[in-house]
Amino acid sequence: MTDIKEKNDDVIEDLNDIDLGSVAELKNERMPRRFQRRRQSQFVPDYIDWKDVDFLRRFIPERGKILPRRISQVSAKDQRRVAKAIKRARSMALIPFVTD
Amino acid sequence: MAAKRVYEVMYIAAPEMDDEYVTKLNEGIQQQIEKEGGTIVKTEVMGRRKLAYPIKKKTEGHYTLFEIEGSGQEILELERRFRVNDDVIRFVTVRVDEERKTAAKLTAKRENRQNRRRGSTSSFGDNQNQEAQNNQ
Repeated sequence: MTDIKEKNDDVIEDLNDIDLGSVAELKNERMPRRFQRRRQSQFVPDYIDWKDVDFLRRFIPERGKILPRRISQVSAKDQRRVAKAIKRARSMALIPFVTD
Repeated sequence: MAAKRVYEVMYIAAPEMDDEYVTKLNEGIQQQIEKEGGTIVKTEVMGRRKLAYPIKKKTEGHYTLFEIEGSGQEILELERRFRVNDDVIRFVTVRVDEERKTAAKLTAKRENRQNRRRGSTSSFGDNQNQEAQNNQ
């Protein structure tokens, strides 16, 4: 019973996207959990131009990796299209594969 | 061959080449494409750009983009030429007509929906106006 209640608490905190650092300290019997802040869903145009570096850069953090969907918050369809465009741009050295 | 296909061809020429050489190369490509029955819709010389990572130990390159309409046969020949030419350090061909078509469809769909939403109120008003006119 208490288990369920605790789980529910988790879900609510997740939804509100609260920074759990302080909360975890208060309830230190629970495992500390990492939360990554979600970005506002990007507007994705109907036609994604693989040459439009400025647009594609929004989906590429420092390291050069493609921003995962759980963070970019775009639809699966759009994510596939964006990923494809990024890969095309990479092949033409418009965007790096990796940046150290 | 029923429908014409549209391709985007981009290539990078070695940085040692001067602009003159690149223009000459582009002219040669254009002639060759037209000979094969394709048409060049657009030529965009993007100029010298820094490469995001080194290719063949080069950090810069002359970028050129073509938009070619044709059957696909001319692309085959063009790519063969790119492969043979050592001054071309990288090239890519993307077929864009189908993606553009689906994108246009999406846009049309959205506009339709918006028009219907907006149109429903305005057409209602129009009807009223017409009725008023009829009554007069």
